[in-house]
Amino acid sequence: MTRPSDEQLHERWRDQPAPLLPLLHELHERDGYLSEEALRGVAKALRIPIAELFGTVTFYHHFAREPGGLEAPRVCTGPVCRLRGAGDLLDSLDGAVSMPCSGRCDEPVPVLRGSSTLVGLAADALESRPSPLPPAAPAGIEECIFAEMRTEGRAGLEGYRSSGGYDALKTAVLESTGPEVIRTITDSGLAGRGGAGFPTGRKWSAVADAAGDPKTIVCNADEGEPGCFKDRVIMDYDPHAVIEGMALAAFATGATRGFIYLRYEYPETEGILEAAIAEAEAAGLLGDGILGSDVDFKLYVRRGAGAYICGEETSLLNSLEGKHPFPRNRPPYPVTHGFEGLPTVVNNVETLAACAPILRNGPDWYRGLGRGDNAGTKIISLSGDVVRPGNYEIPLGLPLRELIDDWAGGAYEGRNVQAVTMAGISGGFLAGEDLDVDLDEASVRERGSMLGAGGIMVFDDSRDMIDVAHSAMEFFAHESCGKCFPCRIGTQRLTERLAGKAGPKELSDWLDEVRDLGETMKETSACGLGMAAPLISESLVKYFPERVAQHVTSVR
Amino acid sequence: MSDNIDGGGNGALSTMTLDGEDVGFTPGETVYEVSERYRREIPTLCYDERLEPFGGCRLCIVEVEGSHNPVASCTTKAAPGMKVTTKSGRLDMHRRVLLELVASENRDLDVDPMSGYASGEMATLLDRYDARTGRFLGMQSGTSHPDDPNPFILRDYENCISCFRCVRVCAEQEGDYAISVMNRGFGTQITTEFDGILKDSACTFCGQCIQTCPTGALADLKALASKDVPGETKLTRTICPYCGVGCSVDLMTRGDQVVGVLPAMDGPANHGALCVKGQFAFDFIGHKDRLDTPLVRGDDGQLHPATWDDALDKAAAGLLAAVDNHGRHSLYVVASGRAPTEAAYMMQKFVRAGLGTSYIDNCSRA
Amino acid sequence: MSNPLADMDKPDVIFCIGTNMTECHPVAATGIKRALANGAKLIVADPRHIVLADLADVYLPLRVGTDSALLLGMAHVIAREGLVDQAFMDARTTEGMAFLEHVERFPPEWAEEITGVPAADIEQAALWYGRAERGAIYYTLGVTEHICGVENVQGLCNLVLMTGNIGREGTGINPMRGQNNIQGAGDAGALPNNYPGFQPVTDPENQEKFEKLYGKKVDLENGITKVTALEMCGDQIRAMFIDGENTLVSDPDRAHCEKALRSLDFLVVADLFLTETAELADVVFPVAAWGEVDGTQTNTERRIQRLRAAVPSPGVARPDWWVISALAKRMGFQGFEYEGAEQVFNELCEVSPIYHGVDWDKVEEGAYQWPVPFDGHPGTPMLHSDEFVNGRGIFNLVEQRDPAETVDDDYPVWLTTGRRLASYHTRTQTGRSAGIDYLLSEESLEIHPDDVDEWGLADRSWAIMSSRRGSVRVRVKATKRSPRGTVFTTFSFADVPVNALTGGGYDPITQTAELKVCPVSVVPE
Repeated sequence: MTRPSDEQLHERWRDQPAPLLPLLHELHERDGYLSEEALRGVAKALRIPIAELFGTVTFYHHFAREPGGLEAPRVCTGPVCRLRGAGDLLDSLDGAVSMPCSGRCDEPVPVLRGSSTLVGLAADALESRPSPLPPAAPAGIEECIFAEMRTEGRAGLEGYRSSGGYDALKTAVLESTGPEVIRTITDSGLAGRGGAGFPTGRKWSAVADAAGDPKTIVCNADEGEPGCFKDRVIMDYDPHAVIEGMALAAFATGATRGFIYLRYEYPETEGILEAAIAEAEAAGLLGDGILGSDVDFKLYVRRGAGAYICGEETSLLNSLEGKHPFPRNRPPYPVTHGFEGLPTVVNNVETLAACAPILRNGPDWYRGLGRGDNAGTKIISLSGDVVRPGNYEIPLGLPLRELIDDWAGGAYEGRNVQAVTMAGISGGFLAGEDLDVDLDEASVRERGSMLGAGGIMVFDDSRDMIDVAHSAMEFFAHESCGKCFPCRIGTQRLTERLAGKAGPKELSDWLDEVRDLGETMKETSACGLGMAAPLISESLVKYFPERVAQHVTSVR
Repeated sequence: MSDNIDGGGNGALSTMTLDGEDVGFTPGETVYEVSERYRREIPTLCYDERLEPFGGCRLCIVEVEGSHNPVASCTTKAAPGMKVTTKSGRLDMHRRVLLELVASENRDLDVDPMSGYASGEMATLLDRYDARTGRFLGMQSGTSHPDDPNPFILRDYENCISCFRCVRVCAEQEGDYAISVMNRGFGTQITTEFDGILKDSACTFCGQCIQTCPTGALADLKALASKDVPGETKLTRTICPYCGVGCSVDLMTRGDQVVGVLPAMDGPANHGALCVKGQFAFDFIGHKDRLDTPLVRGDDGQLHPATWDDALDKAAAGLLAAVDNHGRHSLYVVASGRAPTEAAYMMQKFVRAGLGTSYIDNCSRA
Repeated sequence: MSNPLADMDKPDVIFCIGTNMTECHPVAATGIKRALANGAKLIVADPRHIVLADLADVYLPLRVGTDSALLLGMAHVIAREGLVDQAFMDARTTEGMAFLEHVERFPPEWAEEITGVPAADIEQAALWYGRAERGAIYYTLGVTEHICGVENVQGLCNLVLMTGNIGREGTGINPMRGQNNIQGAGDAGALPNNYPGFQPVTDPENQEKFEKLYGKKVDLENGITKVTALEMCGDQIRAMFIDGENTLVSDPDRAHCEKALRSLDFLVVADLFLTETAELADVVFPVAAWGEVDGTQTNTERRIQRLRAAVPSPGVARPDWWVISALAKRMGFQGFEYEGAEQVFNELCEVSPIYHGVDWDKVEEGAYQWPVPFDGHPGTPMLHSDEFVNGRGIFNLVEQRDPAETVDDDYPVWLTTGRRLASYHTRTQTGRSAGIDYLLSEESLEIHPDDVDEWGLADRSWAIMSSRRGSVRVRVKATKRSPRGTVFTTFSFADVPVNALTGGGYDPITQTAELKVCPVSVVPE
């Protein structure tokens, strides 16, 4: 293939929706970095002020600004990988740089090289492998999303259709109405599985009722939370489930365009999604006049470039629009003022993947999958010091102990679970008696934490919790967007204190500072990142006061 | 995501409660604007009334009944029936912590007031909230740009608190988009395209960034050059002497010296905007080339200093000689488009009342 | 301006022609940039690819001196596409039918031939302006400094009248005045044809009125313009009194100008500095500068604002009004006893119908835009909202006319002149302000890079530029802001006296010099 010129690339993307990121990626991959000349061309072609474009490019972790930057191996140094030899790997790979958790905690340590993900524990053992499949569910557990996923060929259209795939869309488009679809989703109790837990039916209904066209469905596949890797497995093995979910959302709300905003660190997934979209388009399941109806829905994949905050829906929308990815002030919310200021549904991958099964099997079926009053299932990405890490689709309300010990084989021989993180790291730690908790949002929140996107990392009694907390806080500091004061400065100050690099030497002063900081961050931050970060320091002090005291008073 | 998906009610009532007092508001007004109108002292650092609310500093938080966390009043629209508290122990605690935090990231807390219009904002708030405690110490943020050789704008980012008023004023008020935000989190840095010097960017040196900076990180180098001139700084409102837009400015003087220009935020033609000429090209009036005495051409053919009396006599005689010898239509006068209107009026009266002619023009034709 | 500056972020279609607003009126341009951010469409017509052209939705790079052709082409499209506001034309204009017939002759293809602008772009511009809900026109000297300056303005008026884009918020026809108080100077009657407040000299009622006021009967005929006066120097004109103008450097045809001033029996100049013009004077008066005087000035939107003294003047320099009145008294003229600027301004308000409703105290806050015909009147931010000053708006059947001089084998290049952001006029002020040199330290001639190559020049090399009247030596700057075959420079630097070249012709009505067009040759030094 000949090397495309800047002009050809500008021409290719200029009139496409959300053109900035794909255009930058093409140039990045063509040249191995983003040169000044290339950026000046983009600024002109897309009429973005050059200073703004330059600033925006520097926001993303993975855009290289020096020649050869793209080829440098990037080694995951997330909370689990750093306990699995990421440091050694980083040292032994030529020119390697570190990257935050890249969503392969069930198979450490992932290394990104160019556009492929390699895994292995040593420099000479790196190889490309498909994402690990979810371990089998225990007997008697009925799954929703994972039910058919382990079937060979599921990622292809034929495989997907063999067990009822696209039946829900067909029924909806040809026999049902938008309001009926929304009612079913509402009745099922499905709520946002990315962590916010907003009722999906209400969100769709708000977009259906909102004025303004065209409307947009955005699939939030920017799975950046450390310890979360569920969306990856869904998209890799069941891309049509996500597509069908989006098409259903589009039908229900009247949206005519959709984007899957995929995190940068899943390069193989992009190909899988693109292939699935092409298949669906060819089969008349996407595009103009879906299944011969008058429903139009055009779907695009847009790849992020390494920024945790882009998982926050308004940052994501700014990123899609080619703007600096700061979170927006709300209200107005995306349901009325989303992509390009128009009504927009932003749903998580898992939420969308649940929609078709719910419409096929009915709302009561889905509700019944949960335990007690909890409706439905939740995928938990379980990793760390546990025998069988992986993605587990649990009935909401399953006790945490049951998941760790019975489903995942418990801690390693001779070790005990010291603590787990919740919601990736956004829920802070649970430890001690609080490990006896049922996995549903209400129960977890009672203990001062949250279930969130469902990442749980296990740390056994061999681990230094100060070190774990420091690494988590360092992540937040690294990913803080810099827009609001409490988060920008607060995450930095907490990191310094957990590293022992700054802060009072008197324990009571140290605790006062950390507490005051935490209170102010939780109550005044502009988005969830700054609100969640202090849960790490707060729960550390709560569960491990002696270790904290020792840390503060030890000689620095 | 909050349950409050539409951001409040839409009733026809336009009253809300502010610290227990019923107050009216115009739909579309923010809680901050309403509070300002009712003279509540709500602190801000990222707010500039000419710009879109940003919601970065979080100092303007208020409590709203029914909302778990305090909300930023600058980005929250007033809604009918809303119950707002602008002052409480909890809010004061948060505001103080936030101020201690920004104080902890800067090299200097106090800068010379000549730095710029808003340069004392942070220091004032630190005092008001008793926030000079030295808590939360750690790394300082921002890398200064001492290598930028421009003679107008100091770029001392070690005193930057990342409120982005400069970036926003450059984009929203000036439309130049010369500066932007680089990196993220604590590494956030105000930058130009490719982090160069201002002259190599789209910067037009209008100085708006200086005047909105609340810490003096961006500062007026020309004014600062006069910071040691003795005397108190006095402000005099006048109009810019350059193009026809008529921007209002406040001349900064110390003693008999003009030391700088501040844009007038309430100027009817400019609302605080200026350009490089209005902001920085003021010191010609004190230039050594200024004429300070009348000059009369002597017998040697050279111009020599003279008294007013002599000069007026000589001029009157010269002009009258022409009129006497060649008639009143032999004298022509040119009025200035640069001088005050009174000068032009006087000039036309000079020919009309003095000679009965209209032998006058101004410089509008060239 | 027909509309206030505050309107500039309100149009949905903006047509900027012959205005380098981001450099010459930067603060006004911020309004346009805000309108663009709100989604307005911008049409820019200018021979040079100025910064505004970068922001434009359609850019019309017309050849210098072809404005009328462009405007006729646009009017043709508006008429042909039925975008005429018939109700407005019926109610408020005359000669409309004749005009619509007239423009049938000028399709955009015809305009393309003359202007060099693709017909499709002329169509697009016309369609946008014609369909605009709020279409606003902004122009500056790029339109007026031609021998056909009046016709160019009439061409713009025609577009306004046929579309009804006037008298409403965000519309209008808006010339941007170039000097801080050029509006005030005209308002005050410093014109050969008008008393203060634009009261015609030729009206016997006015003659009578001012005879009463001034105690002197003033000629019923118009005076002469400065251009004519300079022509007559040494002949009829024997003495001049010039206040605050560096005529020698700012007026066209420097050689002619210098000869004229030198031929006078007597020259008096009042200024801040010993300018090139002052150096020729017999008597020079030192005047107080901005920042040293109280007074008023009136901006481009007719807003009357107060100037205030902040510091004393150097030495014995005095305010202009004091100098002029002192000289008048010395010459035995009656009625020049004044105590201050306040008294002068209040007298102007009394004699001028457009200032009649204000006085020194009332203009304190700058709240009034004239006309303010009587006390209690709120001022007039927008003109022409109900009717035009002379009743109905009159269409003019303008035609395209060539510039006074056109390019030929000897002078094959078009020179056009203007200003740059960081310098003002002849730099008597900006050149004496610290730091400005950092942005702009010397004159340059902006030439398209391909022309630079073709003419045997190099970027930053020296060139000799000559016209039929003179030559200058100037440094070359290669830039795509200049189109092929057209070069640009300013009259800011005394060492590159560009007015030695210009001055080929004048508008016959206003006697404005054709500073925007001058055929030159450009050769390596």
